[in-house]
Amino acid sequence: MARVLVVDDAAFMRKLLTDALTNGGHEVVGEAGNGVEAVARWQELRPELTTLDITMPEKDGLSALAEIMAIDPSAKIIMCSALGQEGKVLEAVKLGAKDFVVKPFQPPRVLEAVEKALS
Amino acid sequence: MATEVSQREALTHLGASTAEAVARVLDMFVPGGVERGDVSVTADGQNPFVNLPAGGVAASVRYVDGVTGANVLLMPAKCARGLATAMGAGEQEDGPLTELEMSAVGEASNQMLASAAAAISVVIGQEIDISPPDVRIIGTDIDAADVWGTAPHACSTSFTIAGEPCRLVQLVPNAFVVRMARAIDEISMEQTAADYSNASGDGEGGITASVPMTEKLGEINLRVWAELGRTQLPIGEALELPIGAVVDLDRTADSAVDLFINGLCFGHGNLLVTEDGEWAIEVLALNKPVIRKPALVGGAGIVADQPDNARDPS
Repeated sequence: MARVLVVDDAAFMRKLLTDALTNGGHEVVGEAGNGVEAVARWQELRPELTTLDITMPEKDGLSALAEIMAIDPSAKIIMCSALGQEGKVLEAVKLGAKDFVVKPFQPPRVLEAVEKALS
Repeated sequence: MATEVSQREALTHLGASTAEAVARVLDMFVPGGVERGDVSVTADGQNPFVNLPAGGVAASVRYVDGVTGANVLLMPAKCARGLATAMGAGEQEDGPLTELEMSAVGEASNQMLASAAAAISVVIGQEIDISPPDVRIIGTDIDAADVWGTAPHACSTSFTIAGEPCRLVQLVPNAFVVRMARAIDEISMEQTAADYSNASGDGEGGITASVPMTEKLGEINLRVWAELGRTQLPIGEALELPIGAVVDLDRTADSAVDLFINGLCFGHGNLLVTEDGEWAIEVLALNKPVIRKPALVGGAGIVADQPDNARDPS
């Protein structure tokens, strides 16, 4: 079980991710709706794992990822990308993301990515 | 090269590419329940936002980098509720759309237009970024130009989602249309060259008007390159390659290299070094008739079917 921060600008996606993670035995300790909130909540909560959307207002997921990795290079972050954002996924992996999940996703895929990132 | 594709063709192509990507994503949410209608190009000076479904939902996503433009998905409330339910936002009885339903529609738009942006990126050869979605209820007094802006061009595609109608309106700036037209021109030209190659290469049938075609293609500048070999690596492994790493390719050192014109493999050759130390290719085989011009291209020094003028490889 891991303490997870869920970041997505869509409340609907945060709920889907939270349900998938909770049903998989993980604890969602916080949520954020944009990149600025994501960095702030990450510093506050220091989660074991973070799911991070790419396209968000205020600050996008890649910028938030870079900031969090600068704070803690060992941070475990999984990117959630839409179909067709492979280029950004590659950039995210370069920045230190552990894995990515393509939306729309099935809960088992999310849990698989989480297990892989935590292992 | 002059652009020969009309604005209307470019807009129709843009609308069709977008609609295909949108329908593909919608079909993931509502398997088998999505139908796509034709693309219609809005006449100059006409308002693309006539007959808005008052009380329904408008979800807009903008292209913000690479190209600009707005994409607005317009759906009656019943359609929005059906889509949100199919996505897993829970079943609601009558009444106003919930925040979760609105959020689900916005997320659907985000995923649809991300996919569409990727499809268009392939056509124009440049990555396109999208904005986060803006989702709102369509009021009876909504000012479309104020909310979504205006553009010189627009096209619209109708869909049905689980039997409920909706439509996607695209606002397209001039620069986007020009780039789209140019890209379609280039693709058409490559396809023509490929068709010509396929039709002529087997010695049977073929294009009967080969001389005019050769003349037509003869003045066009194309990118030419040679490929030494290929390999495949997982992303993680590729990103962690250290300086000095040696990556095996699928060819031996004495294998022929493949020759390409704009992505089309047109022959094979030997890699050589000329007397002045430059790389050169000795053409061994051609997959299609070459254009009979001195074939020295860039620094690679390709020697193509010109034995008397061939550079003397060392």
